[in-house]
Amino acid sequence: MNNICLKSIDKDNPSSLATYETMGGYKVWHKILNGELSPEKILEELKISGLRGRGGAGFPTGLKWSFMPRNQEGQKYVVCNSDEGEPGTCHDRDILRFNPHSVIEGMAIAGYVMNATVGYNYIRGEFMEPYYRCEEALKEAYDAGLLGTNIKGSKVCFDLYSHLGAGAYICGEETALLESLEGKKGQPRFKPPFPANVGLYGKPTTINNTESFASVPEILSRGGQWFANLGVPNSGGTKCFSVTGNVKNPANFEIPMGTPFSDLLKLAGGLRKGRTLKGVIPGGSSTPVIPAAKAMKMTMDYDSIEKAGSMLGAGSVIVMDDTTCMVKALTRLAHFYYDESCGQCTPCREGTGWMYRVLKRIMDGQGKSEDLELLLSVQDKMLGNTICALADGAAMPIESFIRHFREEFEYYIKHGKSMVENDG
Amino acid sequence: MMVDIEIEIDGKVVHGYPGESLISIADREGIDIPRFCYHKKLSVAANCRMCLVDIEGNPTPQPACSTLSSAGMKVHTNNEKAKTAQKAVMEFLLINHPLDCPICDQGGECELQDVAMEYGSDISRFTEGKRIVDDKGIGALIQTDMTRCIHCTRCVRFGAEVAGIVEMGATGRGEDLKIEPFLSEGIQSELSGNMIDVCPVGALTSKPFRYDVRSWQMNSIQTIARHDLVGSNIFTQTHKNKVKRVVARDNESINETWISDRDRFSYQGVNNENRVLIPKIKIEGEWQDTSWDDALDFATNGIKKHAKEGSQFGTLASKNATLEELYLLQKFTRGLGSDNLDYRLDASNPNNAKVLESNISLTELETIDHALIVNSYLRLEQPMINHRIRKATLNGASVSTINAKAFDFNYRISHSVLTSPQNTVATLSGVLKALHDKSSKTLPDYLNSVTVHETHTDIANVLLNAKNPVVVLGEHMNGNTCSDQVAKLVSEIAKASDAKTINASLTGNTHSAERVNFRPDNGKNALQILSSDLTAFALFDVYPNFDCIDSKNAIEHLSRDDAFVVVMNSFDDESVSSFANVILPIASFYETSGTHINVDNIAQSYSASVKSAGESKPGWKVIKVLADLLNLQGFDFTDSSQIADEALSLTPRISEIEVPTSNSKMPNITTVWQYTPYASDVVVRHASSLQQTQIGQMSEASVCKATAKLLKLSEGDLYKGVPVNINESVAEGCVFVHTNLPRQLGVV
Repeated sequence: MNNICLKSIDKDNPSSLATYETMGGYKVWHKILNGELSPEKILEELKISGLRGRGGAGFPTGLKWSFMPRNQEGQKYVVCNSDEGEPGTCHDRDILRFNPHSVIEGMAIAGYVMNATVGYNYIRGEFMEPYYRCEEALKEAYDAGLLGTNIKGSKVCFDLYSHLGAGAYICGEETALLESLEGKKGQPRFKPPFPANVGLYGKPTTINNTESFASVPEILSRGGQWFANLGVPNSGGTKCFSVTGNVKNPANFEIPMGTPFSDLLKLAGGLRKGRTLKGVIPGGSSTPVIPAAKAMKMTMDYDSIEKAGSMLGAGSVIVMDDTTCMVKALTRLAHFYYDESCGQCTPCREGTGWMYRVLKRIMDGQGKSEDLELLLSVQDKMLGNTICALADGAAMPIESFIRHFREEFEYYIKHGKSMVENDG
Repeated sequence: MMVDIEIEIDGKVVHGYPGESLISIADREGIDIPRFCYHKKLSVAANCRMCLVDIEGNPTPQPACSTLSSAGMKVHTNNEKAKTAQKAVMEFLLINHPLDCPICDQGGECELQDVAMEYGSDISRFTEGKRIVDDKGIGALIQTDMTRCIHCTRCVRFGAEVAGIVEMGATGRGEDLKIEPFLSEGIQSELSGNMIDVCPVGALTSKPFRYDVRSWQMNSIQTIARHDLVGSNIFTQTHKNKVKRVVARDNESINETWISDRDRFSYQGVNNENRVLIPKIKIEGEWQDTSWDDALDFATNGIKKHAKEGSQFGTLASKNATLEELYLLQKFTRGLGSDNLDYRLDASNPNNAKVLESNISLTELETIDHALIVNSYLRLEQPMINHRIRKATLNGASVSTINAKAFDFNYRISHSVLTSPQNTVATLSGVLKALHDKSSKTLPDYLNSVTVHETHTDIANVLLNAKNPVVVLGEHMNGNTCSDQVAKLVSEIAKASDAKTINASLTGNTHSAERVNFRPDNGKNALQILSSDLTAFALFDVYPNFDCIDSKNAIEHLSRDDAFVVVMNSFDDESVSSFANVILPIASFYETSGTHINVDNIAQSYSASVKSAGESKPGWKVIKVLADLLNLQGFDFTDSSQIADEALSLTPRISEIEVPTSNSKMPNITTVWQYTPYASDVVVRHASSLQQTQIGQMSEASVCKATAKLLKLSEGDLYKGVPVNINESVAEGCVFVHTNLPRQLGVV
């Protein structure tokens, strides 16, 4: 456990350059600076490693990097998405706090592979401590001559800047992030064109998640195959999971892909005494909820979770036991999306508020028998009809909560109170 | 043509350009796709989601506006998947829309209403409370009802992309997203009214038109706006013989789909109460209403009595008169044996030289890569010409200026030379000399002693480096006593740098006036008519206290006891009443048929939209009857189109712009007097809503500190009746007066 991105977590001075270097840090970067590692070789290793984007979409990282027109003239950019805002997720925060140099090295390697000389690390607005840690690490890296122009005489150039967001969930969407980074209002761009062609300031840009970048140095240092073997087919390597909710020891765990959910639950101390598992949201609040029985049978990898009816997402595992009122939980989630919609697309701007209000009305004891069908219909009309996936993220919990826990909703509508006793 | 990719829309094989959006192809093919945020002249936003269509092979429906066509694509705009998505969006759009169509001015011409008829449901499933949005109000022209807003951002994009002034924005997020101005002063663009046209709902409607009549009660009549050199195509919308509203009419080569606020809201002036409605004669100093017959007799007898010889008669006409009116007036004047006629009332130096030609079309203006703007606040003077230059700047063109003041353009000015009127000739000569130096051409004698400054060389350099430059000459030249030299130098600069020219110095319908030679060949020009011993005058829609450069002298001159003044006017004016002997009421804009010739030399004829107000009659009929009563020959017209035909068959006079000789002496401190665009002619001066805007209320005499000191002026003093504003945006040695007030020259 905690072998790659979180490997410094128990060390003294975990975020320092010295600690990073004692763990083999910047070895790959030095190889590159010495001209011993070609971009093609790096792409090949990444493809072998099976590393998939850790931000939630799971797009193969090596493939993504190869989309960049690296030989095209003009400025190109590498951007790290550290706007970790998905409810239930907090592992990127720990990577930034404890292992910032792995992100710096990962981004520098990406810049080298894609011929991008400037990188930006867009850090969530609330992450003040991680931001300062990253700034310190950047200073160390610059002082050590690991970043800048013509680094150590290698003709390789890479400048990296941290950018603190302003607290909008939508800026975790990569094109909204770019807008925000450009100083504009954070709202997603329609695609195509994709950032690889028209990204930051209109230039080719690759955006990856913090964990993806942090994994790269270790993969290249120990080989793609080594990484792939840690996991299961189609889900290479390890993955950081944030386990929150009704568990004894909520925390971040970096474990091999394919680990059974039940093992992960044990790592988090299991449920409290006398409680039974009700449901699990495996990939962050925008992924569908999975009822207990199915959850206990799944393993933590892309395919198994998909088979169970949800998504691995950002690896944000929210555990709910029998004391959880699913109506209340869903209302809270609905409020989140209602609050965070950028308001650009009609279905999301209008739909998130509509769904929240209906749920709120049910919670207020004013529910009507037709409300569940209405909710299902509204979420269906939002799905897939907007520029970005926020509307999908708002819609999917609605559908899955009602599908799996319909009786709780019906009870609430009929009786004007929760089926769960002593809820809250 | 680059045509050719084949795609299939609803089973029909259609062609598109590579990279063309699906909606653009569908529009060309007449395939209807509902939309709100898409507008052919604005960037794609893809936010309303109404144009979702089904593309085979795509799991989710895609917006037709942002999806680019690629060969072999199969698109369904109305299969079940597409319809379901479109209806879903429609439901979302309507849940928070107030549906107050019965009290909404947009009702009947509302895109939301139209599309809802097909895609909406009869019954709403939304039972929660609807959203209400506060209105800040954005000025006198646009009525806001933002509760109706569907957040398509067309107005926001219009401001940013077309008007070039980012005034409206989308603030807030999610449900709290609001379209509102960033600043509290309201909208200031001279093109702001177009936001009303682009708004698909009743959120932005015409304020002057509010609650007047329903859209379906009006007739729409195709006509031409007459205020500027462009002749924008418009519809007048009339009800019970009144123009109730003016909206833009598409004409890609003239005004695209936009019109200026002046063209849109000036109709209020025509409806103003201050019109002359009955013929009037002055007997022993007292005005009497009378019949047309008596008034015409009175006028012709007066002319016969006071102008025993033709040369004692002089005619002045408004530059906004129609081609037909100008043609008949000159025929009338020349028929009486006079060559004293002019329309250049605001010129200090109306000489006989040919005016500088415009030789680039409006559409070609978009392709220039540099514009040198001389003596012009082009954005306010000629908004649509300025718009084309702005479009060129968006494609990388640069702009430099030689002006008395640093104006607020809606594009960046790369080089600016601040020059007072008395130094304009020196500056232009400097630029011309620099151009000659660069191209090693032989220097004409008159440039020998000219000093070339670095700023002159800079402008010469950008002109020479440009492939398609244009030089624009504007209104401020008119007041310059060396205007002939200014025009000649501009023409020489254009020649030396291979640049095209736009002459925006003479606005309104001056191309018609030039076409019919409405200026003396050998007789007296405007200034001479108003300062020599003529005894009979005809004034056609002229209001000297605004229109004449030396208004005080003009009014005194026309008020002489031995002067007989026949006035054909559409508006009442005290100073006109003081000197006129007879006032014949004539039809104003939209009340008469006529022809406007624009900067591209396109003659656009129009018919009357409404009947003339009161007993007033179209100008051409009045002139014709006057001519008949005076037994002049060649006035057998029964229709204004016959006059236009005859006028357009004439070959315009050909003359050269004279070579400048020496600088005529100018005072050490000069005044540049420019009317705000909403005081540029009598109709717009009477348009009440435009007067309430910031542009309309602009009235200040700008002067720099040094010059203010010489003139002993301090902030807030009155200079020629206009409040003084001391700032350093003005060239030394001049006062720049931008105002809506009558001229009070002589009061310093």
